Amino acid sequence: MTARKIATNVAALVVALFFAFPTYWMVATALKPRKDLLSSDYDLVPFSVTGSNFATAWSKPGFLNSLGNSLMVSLGAVLAAIVVGLLAALAMSRMRFRGRKGFVMLMLIAQMAPFEALLIPMFLMMRDLDLLDRLPSLALIYFAVTLPFCAWTLRGFVNGIPLELEEAAMVDGCGRWGAFRRVTLPLLGPGLVATSVFAFVTAWNEFLFALSLVNDQTKETLPVWLSGFQTNFGTDWGGAMAASALFTLPVLVFFLIVQRKMVTGVTAGAVKG
Amino acid sequence: MKGWRGLAVSAAALAVAVAGCGTSTDGGSSNSGEPKTLTVWLMDGSAPATLTDALNKEFQDSHAGVTVKYEVQKWNGIQEKLTTALTSNNPPDVIELGNTQTAKFAAEETLLDLSADVSDLNGDQWLSGLKDSLTWDGKQYGLPFYAANRTVIYRTDLFEAAGITAPPTSRDEWIAAIEKLKAANAADPEFQPLYLPGQSWYVLLSFIWDEGGDVAKPQGSAWAGALDTPQAKAGLEFYKKLVDASGTKAPKDADEATPQQMEVFGTGKVGMMIGLPWELGGAIKANPDLKAKTAAFPIPSKTAGKTAPVFLGGSNLAVPAGSKNADLAKEYLKLLSSKKYQDMLAEGGSVPGTSQDTSKLSTNALGKALAESAPNGKVTPTTPAWAAVEAGQNPLKDMLTAYLTGAKTLDAATADANAALSKTLGG
Amino acid sequence: MTAVHTTDAAVPTNPSAPRRAAPDGAPRRRGGAFDRALPYLLLAPAVVAILWLIGWPVLSVVITSFRKLNLRELTRGEVVWTGVDNYTKILGDPEFWTIAVRTVVFTALVVAASVLAGLLIALLMRQISPFVRIVLQVAMLLAWAMPLLAATTVYQWIFDQQYGILNKTLVKLGFDSFAGFSWFSTGTSTLAVIGLLIVWQAIPFLAFSLYAGAVGIPKDQYEAAGIDGASAWQTFRAVTWPELKPLLLMVTFLSMLWDFKVFAQIWAMKKGGPDGGSTTLAVYQYLEGISKSHFGVAAAVSVVMVALLALLTFQYLRRLVRSQEGAL
Repeated sequence: MTARKIATNVAALVVALFFAFPTYWMVATALKPRKDLLSSDYDLVPFSVTGSNFATAWSKPGFLNSLGNSLMVSLGAVLAAIVVGLLAALAMSRMRFRGRKGFVMLMLIAQMAPFEALLIPMFLMMRDLDLLDRLPSLALIYFAVTLPFCAWTLRGFVNGIPLELEEAAMVDGCGRWGAFRRVTLPLLGPGLVATSVFAFVTAWNEFLFALSLVNDQTKETLPVWLSGFQTNFGTDWGGAMAASALFTLPVLVFFLIVQRKMVTGVTAGAVKG
Repeated sequence: MKGWRGLAVSAAALAVAVAGCGTSTDGGSSNSGEPKTLTVWLMDGSAPATLTDALNKEFQDSHAGVTVKYEVQKWNGIQEKLTTALTSNNPPDVIELGNTQTAKFAAEETLLDLSADVSDLNGDQWLSGLKDSLTWDGKQYGLPFYAANRTVIYRTDLFEAAGITAPPTSRDEWIAAIEKLKAANAADPEFQPLYLPGQSWYVLLSFIWDEGGDVAKPQGSAWAGALDTPQAKAGLEFYKKLVDASGTKAPKDADEATPQQMEVFGTGKVGMMIGLPWELGGAIKANPDLKAKTAAFPIPSKTAGKTAPVFLGGSNLAVPAGSKNADLAKEYLKLLSSKKYQDMLAEGGSVPGTSQDTSKLSTNALGKALAESAPNGKVTPTTPAWAAVEAGQNPLKDMLTAYLTGAKTLDAATADANAALSKTLGG
Repeated sequence: MTAVHTTDAAVPTNPSAPRRAAPDGAPRRRGGAFDRALPYLLLAPAVVAILWLIGWPVLSVVITSFRKLNLRELTRGEVVWTGVDNYTKILGDPEFWTIAVRTVVFTALVVAASVLAGLLIALLMRQISPFVRIVLQVAMLLAWAMPLLAATTVYQWIFDQQYGILNKTLVKLGFDSFAGFSWFSTGTSTLAVIGLLIVWQAIPFLAFSLYAGAVGIPKDQYEAAGIDGASAWQTFRAVTWPELKPLLLMVTFLSMLWDFKVFAQIWAMKKGGPDGGSTTLAVYQYLEGISKSHFGVAAAVSVVMVALLALLTFQYLRRLVRSQEGAL
């Protein structure tokens, strides 16, 4: 390994530290005993650790239930947004047809919509559809909100894949579908990862709509559950940090699963390169 | 245009519901017929679970076929939640509203007029400070639930060790006590005689009122800020005097929630904090040793021997105008306002809203201090616009930070805050 | 998603089934209608969803902006038209313009910082060993995935005047003036902290996307450049930059959209304070809408926001659409 190579790797680790520090701080705070939280001592590393905050978070009513709700809503929304978005992306990227520009613009302009300001009209709409207090309403909204982004971003990734590759595959006897499945889809791997992680994180973290559209406490999603650590007297630091750590785990798992796909995607790309 | 038609339909339904309520004094309608669900929303941490469990059970037992759907609401996002819930086809039947935000909901006619039911709901025993917050245009839009005010919570053991024999009863004695505590604990650099965050604006209200001032005064039909008056400035000066005397390490740019002052008090390195009964509860939870070593005294006045006026914080109960079970809701409120449950509230450490009997409250030192200062309780201006001050950017907090950090002079800080307050109150 | 209308009965109505194999070289006359309809079929689900679930609420916001809609009107379903009153109210408020300028400047700085950092990290990711890369990716993902409540709490905590680890560290390093330093005493420094939080959470997406784009650049192009003995900078200029430019343009545009509208982080920190010094248009919208319950005024603010955003990004949009056209 050359000196330059080592230097870049070290630089990368420093950058990683910058990103990981708040997470580390979150976990460290969660592990500190209550009395150590508000100390003026220099405690970059906790002096002593306790699992009591995690126990508090774990045993706060509704954790597993809202975890399940969140998983259902987020995965449903992501899956729908990716599939529908990919179909649209293929059309916008690979085909020439009348009004194509208009559709591209629609995807762009849809992303300008002020999400927070849509709360009341969306609420009224879900009320009239009789979807209040039902999880599909949330899945539907997260799907709609992430869809223009997914469609548009995936279009960018499809654009990046040389058309000749597909054409070559079709000449080799693959059909349009076969060419798509064998060539385009694997190359899209990294793009699909970035897009689906984005959609997942967006849906996973959403609070305002989850709070307002669902009153039934058995249908709470995790962000709403998490906000229970905030009371009128402030935030229970230790408990909130422990709960947030639990909250972050599924996203990590989701990423690692998708990440494996991404690696295969990259190698597949390299082989034919 | 489905949305608009939906709106029209719900408006019509609402009209029917409202009309129905005005005439339905025949009563007893709830014991017959199909099962009904009464949805009750109370706020997180407001009523003890023992109270609500007993209350809901008793109500269900006496109303066959009625299920009480009791839901505890979180503070975070409550504005949005209430706004949307009130427009839904099936709003909750009983809601809890902060006393400073009730006027807004009443003025917008989103709550049911309960004027005719006041006597049923123990009207003559209502806590006067909260009653005013429920009155709009001569009508009553709910009933007081509970109230609490801030007292000075202190460590008896530290007071004793510092040679302070009796709790302070004047501002001078208070400052003197701070000095003594400081001297007695000089060896510990972490020690704070008084923990006072820079943005405890409810505490500031006490000092301003004690000086004879107020935050705003009525001006015609609207309200205008009064923070630039000499009285308000004197209140601010005393706040700074306290901060300087105690050398508190509390942030000057945050209120008692960041970090939670009860946790700070729980570290055991604080002599006093100005807080609500629940905050002492929180501190004891963090540090059980404190239970036997804490007591409270009312915030002292500048006039020796008197107590300073205090902000009466609390909650009201109301029935949304769109409630489908308004009669049941009223019966529920009637039960809740009965002495049995009011006594339970007092036992839980808050001033009951519909009973003037506070004997249950005075069983400990903190309750005694609370009961002692409660009659001197005052509320923020009763204008619908006040809710936006607290739900939005509170100029009083900015004023305190700017003055305490020295970013602005007293005159500049009060003038800026006054202009901002007048603007918000003006709509 | 059943709103797919096909005119040709011979065409399968299932839009996800373009499985007719190309009949080796045979004239594709029969496929003409299907091929022509195919893009519309593929687009139909997305377009229906967007128009229904976003278009309609947006339209009703536009309509609301011409109404007086307070809590009373909302709960009673009353419709009170006020013409352009809401607009004259906000546009006549001098504070509105201060806030608008602040929002634009803040957005520009945050976008520039996050896109630049994202690009650098994406390029860095290509140079490092696979293990370090995974470490970096997980670290970034942790930042990205951190729930808002946790992220804002942790940041407030790190920047706390008294107990914050940042001030403690600075004092330890010898900067004694940071003992008890308040990071939230002015609007500018509050915005700086919020900006850091936003950039910190925005970079991961940018870096991931740009890395995905950079990985897709064919190796032979670099090999060609490498053989010529080009420096790293020259390789970047000659190969990476032109290849990444469309993607870069795209993520910059997206960042502008998001950072312009960002609300939750700003509100959670200091509610747009002190003295309104960190209030952006999104916060202003919230203050009017939820805090004051003037939903009509808030809707007008939203419309103005979107108009301003469209104005700011107009050049981008044009370039973007044009360059994408050329790329095909």
